[in-house]
Amino acid sequence: MREILIVSVFCIVCFKGMAQNDSLLNRLEEVVIQADKKLKKYSVGYKVTSLSDSVIVRNTESFTSLLRFNSPLYLREYGSGGTSSASFRGTSSSNTAVIWNGININSINNGQTGFNSLTVSLFDAIDIRSGGGSLEYGSGAVGGTIHLNDYLQFTDTKQIKNQFIASLGSFETYRGIYKFKFSNSKLAINAGVSYNQSENDYKFLNTDFKNTNGAYENFGFNVSAAYLLTNFSKLKFYSANYLGERFFSGELPNPLTANDKYQDFNHRNLLIYTHEKSRLSHEAKLAFLTQEYRYFEDRTSSTFNFGKSKRYLVNYDASYRFPKLKASITSHSEYESAFGKTDQISERNRRQFSQSIIYNQNINSAVSFDAKLRKDFNSDYDVPFTYALGVKVKPVRNLFFRANGSKNFRVPTYNDLFWPGQGNLDLIPETALQGELGIGYKNNQFLIDIGIFYINAKDRIVWTPGGDPDRPGIWVPINLSKVNNKGLEMTLSFNKTFHAHTVKLNINYSYTVATDKATDNQLIFVPKHLLNGNLGYAYKRFSFFYQQLINGKVYTTESNSNDFVIPHYFVANTGLDYSLLSLKKKQLTIGLKVNNIFNKYYEVQPRRPMPNRNFNFNINYKF
Amino acid sequence: MKINKLLSKIFILSALFLASCSDDDSPQLPKGDYENGILISGEGSGAGTGSVSFVSNDLTTTENLIYKKVNNDELGTFLQSISFDNDRAFIVVDNANSVTVVDRYTFEEQAIITTGLNTPRYIETVGDKGYVTNWGSTSDETDDFIAIVDLNTYAVDGTIAVENGPERIIENNGKLYVSHKGAFGTNNIISVINLSDNSVEKITVGDKPDEIFVNAKGELVVLCGGNESWTGNETIASIVNINMSTNEEISSLTFADGEHPSLMVLDSGTLYYEIGGKVYAIDEDATALSSTSIVESQGYLYGLAVKDNRIYLLDASFTDLSELNVYDLSTKNKIDTKAVALGASKIYFN
Repeated sequence: MREILIVSVFCIVCFKGMAQNDSLLNRLEEVVIQADKKLKKYSVGYKVTSLSDSVIVRNTESFTSLLRFNSPLYLREYGSGGTSSASFRGTSSSNTAVIWNGININSINNGQTGFNSLTVSLFDAIDIRSGGGSLEYGSGAVGGTIHLNDYLQFTDTKQIKNQFIASLGSFETYRGIYKFKFSNSKLAINAGVSYNQSENDYKFLNTDFKNTNGAYENFGFNVSAAYLLTNFSKLKFYSANYLGERFFSGELPNPLTANDKYQDFNHRNLLIYTHEKSRLSHEAKLAFLTQEYRYFEDRTSSTFNFGKSKRYLVNYDASYRFPKLKASITSHSEYESAFGKTDQISERNRRQFSQSIIYNQNINSAVSFDAKLRKDFNSDYDVPFTYALGVKVKPVRNLFFRANGSKNFRVPTYNDLFWPGQGNLDLIPETALQGELGIGYKNNQFLIDIGIFYINAKDRIVWTPGGDPDRPGIWVPINLSKVNNKGLEMTLSFNKTFHAHTVKLNINYSYTVATDKATDNQLIFVPKHLLNGNLGYAYKRFSFFYQQLINGKVYTTESNSNDFVIPHYFVANTGLDYSLLSLKKKQLTIGLKVNNIFNKYYEVQPRRPMPNRNFNFNINYKF
Repeated sequence: MKINKLLSKIFILSALFLASCSDDDSPQLPKGDYENGILISGEGSGAGTGSVSFVSNDLTTTENLIYKKVNNDELGTFLQSISFDNDRAFIVVDNANSVTVVDRYTFEEQAIITTGLNTPRYIETVGDKGYVTNWGSTSDETDDFIAIVDLNTYAVDGTIAVENGPERIIENNGKLYVSHKGAFGTNNIISVINLSDNSVEKITVGDKPDEIFVNAKGELVVLCGGNESWTGNETIASIVNINMSTNEEISSLTFADGEHPSLMVLDSGTLYYEIGGKVYAIDEDATALSSTSIVESQGYLYGLAVKDNRIYLLDASFTDLSELNVYDLSTKNKIDTKAVALGASKIYFN
């Protein structure tokens, strides 16, 4: 009972609202040009949370910490700034797909995205969709998808906007972001550069050590543009580029041994032509993406291991609307040719084609649904037929029910298939059947969404010693385990303005039971309880925020031995902003942020302490 | 200090867990006394620290994480090996670049050596000196060395440069014998270090020499695992006997193509070795390998020991506790199974 009280007190006192973000999206819907139409159009029955640019610029430390404090995802990180992965609903990190302007950018080498190897501060919005999305986004979209979006906008009059953010923080951390937006009635251009650098040598609390090999430096450059060709057709171009170098920090008891270095080079380019006239619309996409990492076991040495990939995508969508039925039918066809190699694997080419059909209808204003089908053809293995259905019902104003069900998959990676002596060409894709039921209430100030989910995954790819009887003692990936994930995901947000006071609150809570069918034990690295909350308060020129994370205990062994656990942790950050200048065309804000304000010792991975209390001073100038 | 509190909580929990698991008629848990038992070292993994487990000789008690329990500290990954002198145990942890010195019976920490080591693997003690094989930087095949540790001050006071990938190290008659398995690559030599002047001689053997023993006839017995097919240059495995006065090969038993034994022990004139999870036994004078196994592991066989008519197999798990399976050597029946250290790899009799 006392716990419930504490939680409710916390809820009452706890910032950045989904309702608020949601309404922002709705408001922008007509004018904003998005590369990825699927997310907005075909998420009926799914929960989509948006992180607006104001939340993004407040959490510029890393993509990892942005998600850790603002989303229902569980983030694993090998020390602050190290290798990082995210998972939804107790699924594995390769079951989380990262979607850049509609394109799945998970690595073909390991099937994941490193959440510390991309900068997100240049994106205009990040959307987080919980639930299966293989149908729209392909492999790995099992637990959910994270969308990095650029928004372009035509304006009746010529507009030029500039934004400059600079920050200075503990552990010699320097960041700078510059964003430029130009628009008129025919052309919209966004461009941005970001630079981050940190020694990141925080003290390991309760020890004599520091995070001595944790420095990082990265540079990002994004540009996007839209041009109105005719009243019916547009040409859009998106490019995102990232160069980063990190050192991998060491672990207790002797972190001084850490000596390795990692470099990332990513380039992503996308060209889209759209034509929309009366009931029929077409869209054609061309994309070219390259990704490269280099891993130096010894930072002083010039020898390294590497992985490289090139991907070419061609995509054609046609959509036909039935205005009387308030329905539409859309066909997506996509062809991809991917080339991947590592220092261990000579270059391999994988070709795949997918065809999907999506039917979408609003039956009066109360019921809407999507029905989707997809078939893949792949040069390396069979991908199962996938399908999904989403329904949303609004019986009365403000109240809604939602439901979705889907079949999803994750294909084996290049490493799984081709690693010399260990790869397994007999692997088949992991598949997961899942369903979700949700109920929610939404008005101008308040939103609550509670969903219960069930995921039944099979043929999970697991690396295990002796997995192949013909190769005893060798670690081999095999389609091994079956797992059941079930649980509850809740989002609550509230915002209210009275006189000059504004209060914003946002809470994500999830309860996850993920069990291996063979043992009935909780999967490793899946916290049962995960809660984060953000409380914001603004008064005149001041604004304050407090964010809290409560991450439950995780087991690190399959038998759930209490000898091997990562204890739960509570971490809180807070910040205060002051607006020096608040004109229509010029705004200048300065802010101070304190991370880990209570100076708590915590670990996200065993023996890797996270940063102690640290400070960040920032200046944000829009003109 | 908060972490210490937390750790002690974990210890209490695990003690309760262990107490509740042990048989009702078992004696009290040994309180910091690890005499008369079996020590099992586990490498550890991303799932947890490298650790040492204790199993009493009568197999009635098992205690895991004994170093952590006694010293409130973790050993880190990957615990490679342990060596002993009269009253000390030397625990070598490669990624932590450390040799932790403990009292071999109480497991109380006496020193942690971290300076002067680089990816240490095995240690051999000779009087007041410890000799530690080190791979050096993993991206440099020319910086491998033997660190010489002063066992009174626990300082590294000298090094001996050796070829790539030094692994096991034993002392015999004033000389150190070092097998060069080849670290992440492969190698095919035994270094012989004369302790009077630290001069190094080489003996060429098969690829990937690992276990080395001196048999009753005073010959050096070497298990060469051979290069596996994934190296792109597969070679056959062999057990090689070497004359220790001339450093010449006396005899060699070769394995079939594709067979790569990875474990071997010598006990009372019998050699026990492993291929693909099966254990075979031959007389140390045998002129042929055996075709029938004596016991077979049900898991991932990663450690092997023989003593007093028992054979001990470690079925290692790197995601969980491992299994120690004990068999009667005469009947080949399984006597007992114990849950022991994560990534269990080696067995020592204390």
